[in-house]
Amino acid sequence: MSQSNMLAMILAGGRGSRLKDLTNKVAKPAVYYGGKYRIIDFPLSNCANSGVDIVGVLTQYESVLLNSYAAAGGRWGLDTTHSGVFILTPREKADSGLDVYRGTADAISQNIDFIDNYDPEYLLVLSGDHIYKMNYDKMLKFHKSNNADATIAVLSVPLKEASRFGIMNTDENKRIVEFEEKPEHPKSTLASMGIYIFNWKLMRKMLIQDMKNPDSSHDFGKDFIPVMLNEGKAVYAYEFTGYWKDVGTIDSLWEANMDLLDKNNELELSDTTWRIYTGNTATLPQYIGPTAKINGAYITQGVQVNGEITHSVLSTNCHVMEGAKIIDSVLMPNVIVEEGAVVTRAVVAEGVRIGKNAVVGDSKSENILLVAKNVKGGE
Amino acid sequence: MASRAFGIIASPSTRVRVEGLHDYRPIGAFSFLGRFRVIDFPISNMSNSGMDRVMVFIAARPRSIAEHIGSGRHYNINSKRGKIQLLFTQNNNPNDIYNTDIAAYQENREIIARMHQEYVIITPSYMVFRQNFDTLLEEHIESKADITMLYHRVENAKETCLNCNVLTLNKQKGVQSIDENLGNAKEKNISMDTYVMHKELFLDLIKEARKESSAFTLADIINMKASELDVRAVGHRGFFAAITSLKDYFYANQNLLDFDRAQDFFREDWPFYTRTNDSCPTQYYEGAKVNHSFISNGCLIEGTVEDSIIGRNVWIKKGAVVKNSIVLAYSLIDEGVHIEHEVVDKWAQIKHVKELISTDDKPGYVRRSDIL
Repeated sequence: MSQSNMLAMILAGGRGSRLKDLTNKVAKPAVYYGGKYRIIDFPLSNCANSGVDIVGVLTQYESVLLNSYAAAGGRWGLDTTHSGVFILTPREKADSGLDVYRGTADAISQNIDFIDNYDPEYLLVLSGDHIYKMNYDKMLKFHKSNNADATIAVLSVPLKEASRFGIMNTDENKRIVEFEEKPEHPKSTLASMGIYIFNWKLMRKMLIQDMKNPDSSHDFGKDFIPVMLNEGKAVYAYEFTGYWKDVGTIDSLWEANMDLLDKNNELELSDTTWRIYTGNTATLPQYIGPTAKINGAYITQGVQVNGEITHSVLSTNCHVMEGAKIIDSVLMPNVIVEEGAVVTRAVVAEGVRIGKNAVVGDSKSENILLVAKNVKGGE
Repeated sequence: MASRAFGIIASPSTRVRVEGLHDYRPIGAFSFLGRFRVIDFPISNMSNSGMDRVMVFIAARPRSIAEHIGSGRHYNINSKRGKIQLLFTQNNNPNDIYNTDIAAYQENREIIARMHQEYVIITPSYMVFRQNFDTLLEEHIESKADITMLYHRVENAKETCLNCNVLTLNKQKGVQSIDENLGNAKEKNISMDTYVMHKELFLDLIKEARKESSAFTLADIINMKASELDVRAVGHRGFFAAITSLKDYFYANQNLLDFDRAQDFFREDWPFYTRTNDSCPTQYYEGAKVNHSFISNGCLIEGTVEDSIIGRNVWIKKGAVVKNSIVLAYSLIDEGVHIEHEVVDKWAQIKHVKELISTDDKPGYVRRSDIL
């Protein structure tokens, strides 16, 4: 914490059950995205790039894989003497029994001791399942310049979608005067991104009160922020512009992948000044074979293509054999598509094998098909 | 289990000189197959063989190798028990003839003498091959030979591996002599400059070589003592490339476009490690035509690529045609440019020259950071 005196806590406990079989074995933050990344690479890389050196990752659901992945802080360069990534699961403590995290605020409350070790001035609370690039240091500067007690990052959303979000109503100085969770008639289009900066001393006090409150569900959006506003604390909205995606469903995960195929995509993963770091793999570069045809694709190392790829994302070590066609689809790592098979408008889960001449997905389907099990060959 | 041998990655002899690329970095730092560097192969061979003490000797222009190896963590070597050491050797000799491997070892003699391991395995930084040094060490110990060497039999020694050493063997695979490959015969046993021996013998040989001549190399002293020492040779099979000329470099890469060969070389149980660059995946736009090529991450491809190897973060623009070429990282091939049989060095941009065509017999070279 040599730079900003701000410690980050990433909320990574959710299952993401709308991602169906993709999160049967792993938590949502560990889901693959964009060929070589996992979703949690984004907040972790943002921390590393913003000079936030100490990061706690709060996990709960099916967390073994996520824990071991995130614990190797070296992936994001967070493994120096003064930096680290720490996995914080619910655990038994001397003065209380083994408790699950009862809500987002409770997850922080249960780790007050951990945070106290570092004695930070500011606490940054992040979500582990959003895809975006953001400089948290700029947000902290905004927070400081307002002498705020808390700052919430917000994104302007289309008015017709605003009722799906927690909406912030602000005054002309961006101070939040009202917070409405999923309002029927939204007064503003500034949606909370679930990214908060708090002054730790005040927050600590308020978390202890929240823990004791039997009526609280211990959630930032539902309980903690409304209490702050009621008590007249200075809470500001920090407006973020740029790419941000909450990939809650198969359709939105697919869409976020498809966004990468757009030449002018806003996420710009190729920006070398703000790289997204991830695990390294010892593979060959991607091999595009003599019979391959590629019409728009996003492909990472270790992939082997002998078939035809149209507007698709292929992850590490996928193999598309001769005569196979991949159209408007996402292949997660280690997927094998055998000769003559056709995959259309689908997300194919890690390690799935699609047999010879099999046909999966449909170009006219309303929703994207998730293929989570091997598919036998067709005729 | 930790190996009984420590490793030395040796610099090539000063008579090996690769046109173009070599002006900017030692051969070990040459890019290989898009995402690797040549030195990744010997280091990975040692790491995969359980060797956790590796010394890398660097003769000149150390920056790129030092940067690439860094802490060495990406080579999967235990960071407490193990270590990769970079040993620089002074090069302010009035005459290149003094810049021998023996001179470098002599300079670092104390460090070598302090190693705990009984055996040393020496392998060069300018050759690409896969070798399990653990089995080679066992073979060496079992044979009771003084020195075990590796060789690869090549059938085109008139054109390739020039300036490498060649071994003359007797029927029992004993080494009779070590000479320079002057390109005077097709079939030769190319020495892979790889030696296994006891550490004490190695130290003795250094001393004896110094006594004999300041210009002596390790190969020279072993050649001189071939009759009194038991020097045996083990034949190597599989992919092998010695990078001793631009053409060798070109074909070492090109030959791996044969995917069966590439797969046989890159095996899951024998990973070749390299430093990650954290490049994003490669983007292929509509209109791109790519066949029979290795493409690294971070590229933007709008044009045509055939029979080529493309390094990281290369941009091949609309209407550009890249055939039978090796394009190194961060280069740009502009709209409408057509290149064939070229090695394009890092950060080069080909914009104004619309056609750059060399032949398979004599591939061309575009200098680093040049704008053509």
